[in-house]
Amino acid sequence: MDDASPPHASPRATVPSRPLSRRGIERLDLMLLCAEALDLNGGEAMVWLSEEMGCTDVLPNRVELWKRRCSNPLRRTTRRGQLQSAEADALIRILNALADRLYPMLRSLLSSAEPAEITAQRWQLFRSRLDELLRERFNLRRGAVQRLLDPQEGPALSRDLIQAMALSAGPGGFERLKASLLDAAS
Amino acid sequence: MKLSTRYEQTSCRLVLEGLPDLSAGHSADTLGIITGFTLALAGRTELEGKRDHLQALLNAVMPYARHLLSGQPRAFGAASDAVAVEPTAGGHQLELRSSQPDTPPLRLQLDDAELADLVRCLDQLRLDARVAVPFELPPPQPLRRRELRRRQPLAQRLSAPLAGVGALLISALLVSLLPPTPRAPLPGKTPAAAPAQLR
Repeated sequence: MDDASPPHASPRATVPSRPLSRRGIERLDLMLLCAEALDLNGGEAMVWLSEEMGCTDVLPNRVELWKRRCSNPLRRTTRRGQLQSAEADALIRILNALADRLYPMLRSLLSSAEPAEITAQRWQLFRSRLDELLRERFNLRRGAVQRLLDPQEGPALSRDLIQAMALSAGPGGFERLKASLLDAAS
Repeated sequence: MKLSTRYEQTSCRLVLEGLPDLSAGHSADTLGIITGFTLALAGRTELEGKRDHLQALLNAVMPYARHLLSGQPRAFGAASDAVAVEPTAGGHQLELRSSQPDTPPLRLQLDDAELADLVRCLDQLRLDARVAVPFELPPPQPLRRRELRRRQPLAQRLSAPLAGVGALLISALLVSLLPPTPRAPLPGKTPAAAPAQLR
């Protein structure tokens, strides 16, 4: 056992640094939208966390933060141009911190230990807020948006997003989420 | 001097016990040698193990969580490994195999929340600066194309390129049906023909 080695080198450096794919940007922005659906002050929390974590050199203010999120092609108003790697990292860091803050809520949505009626009410509330945000900000002609709003397909897709957020929270969540958003295009 | 570190989430508690490795130059409050660990998952027996079991737990659960995050759940942990995890209908099954002969494996059913708790505890452990034990765990990597199964059904994946090729063929066919445009006579040839007619 080689216990003489130094403590864990940060694995952060070994996750490739390249721009996110279109699918990666869509997923990242959808998870940020879920955070807003779970927390009515989610938008403000993003700005505050960005400042708190020292991301102001990449995302100096709320307008710039908003513009970066508009790189998502599913949005009603999309912004041309690729999201830079540093900008994507800042958004992933913000999501990681938001997921950490919201972890008790994410957990309660995913848990099967609580009474089914209470869980169903929580999902209903979350889904109604998410639907509202999607209708307000997203392009409803896009298939991916229609599937999220679909009463049949939507619940499973929303659950996937919530599960992904729960696995993105905490100290190892950043690298895991970043690697996932960099998956090869299927 | 015995050291102990504790990592807790709602349904999961992981306690690591060990000693500082003073021969490696670690400080007295850095855990460098693991003597054992206990893992308590909500409502179930407390599990105990050694460093190898903890390594097997990390080897199975961390890549499982990584694949699950990409929506690609699959089993991890070979038949010879001490820990295996696989997706089930209602959640996830963690199988712990004892090194003692004639001891049946312990199978635990975890829901999504319990799995997330376990992953968070293991993350806290492997990134804890107070623990200087090098766990052999590759960093999370993006999944390659062949690892991404069933993200989109085949028909859906092929629909866009097939529609494009179809549209191209139809437009090519329509264009080929158009009568050829009569060509205007070249301006250079007209004056040359005119004197011949005059003769």
